[in-house]
Amino acid sequence: MAKAFTAGRRGITGYLEPAERDLLRKLFADIVVILEPATPAHEDPLAALIGLDLDVSVPTDPALLRLLPNAVKDDADAALEFRQLTERSLRETKIGALRAASLGLEGEKIVLDADAAKLWSMALNDVRLVLAERLEIRDEKDADRVHQVQDWGDADDVESYLSLVYNFVSWLQESLVQAMMAGLKSGK
Amino acid sequence: MSVSTAPETDRDQSTQTFSAPEIPWDLIVWNDPVNLMSYVSYVFQSYFGYSEAKAAELMLQVHTEGKSAVAHGSKEKMEAHAVAMHGFGLWATVQKGQRRG
Repeated sequence: MAKAFTAGRRGITGYLEPAERDLLRKLFADIVVILEPATPAHEDPLAALIGLDLDVSVPTDPALLRLLPNAVKDDADAALEFRQLTERSLRETKIGALRAASLGLEGEKIVLDADAAKLWSMALNDVRLVLAERLEIRDEKDADRVHQVQDWGDADDVESYLSLVYNFVSWLQESLVQAMMAGLKSGK
Repeated sequence: MSVSTAPETDRDQSTQTFSAPEIPWDLIVWNDPVNLMSYVSYVFQSYFGYSEAKAAELMLQVHTEGKSAVAHGSKEKMEAHAVAMHGFGLWATVQKGQRRG
């Protein structure tokens, strides 16, 4: 079984079984696939330089929309314009965090400095956002329903399996955030 | 030259100060049933540099009221914050600030 992350003198450490590391590696890779832009970077060097992307549109996949939400409410034009200027770099930020977290899975013992811990927490959060969308977690009641599923012996369909994975990743993120908060408090 | 001109100019200047067109923008963070309360607090502390108490207060406001205006300032600054919040997986939007007071 995985051990909760703890904050110590050498940073934040955790421990994951090989099967748990395989699972996380696959989840991180899945989210990278979801986030990879459908179109290559703009060929106009100036547009590429400023990150302007006129091919961008609001994602139709609700999970992708949750990862890349609109930054302006009730104004589709302003939201799209914002997206054209920022979405590509946001995708790159997220992919970077997911890849960094995946690279940190080489050994059973996970050792993270403050920056690596931040990237890990972002990556775990994005995994949870996508799983939550697939599990149709829309309110606290849905969250409770998923949280009830705790026994791996009950993993007899896709939904219960995804619920167990979601609960595992949530537990892992919570323990990581607690360790990061302890680090913030001690000024590290 | 009339003596009454000077006070009038003064009045104009003070009017200009009060009706400055620059209404600050707000960064709104929205509640969702997925993000952990501890994580939202961590983001507010580590990204904005808020104290533990202020971060917890804003987090609870998001949780109980559905949203919170967590930062105020220029449009450009709030837009940069929104992208950063999306990087963390929080849902944030920018909007023109409401005049307070």
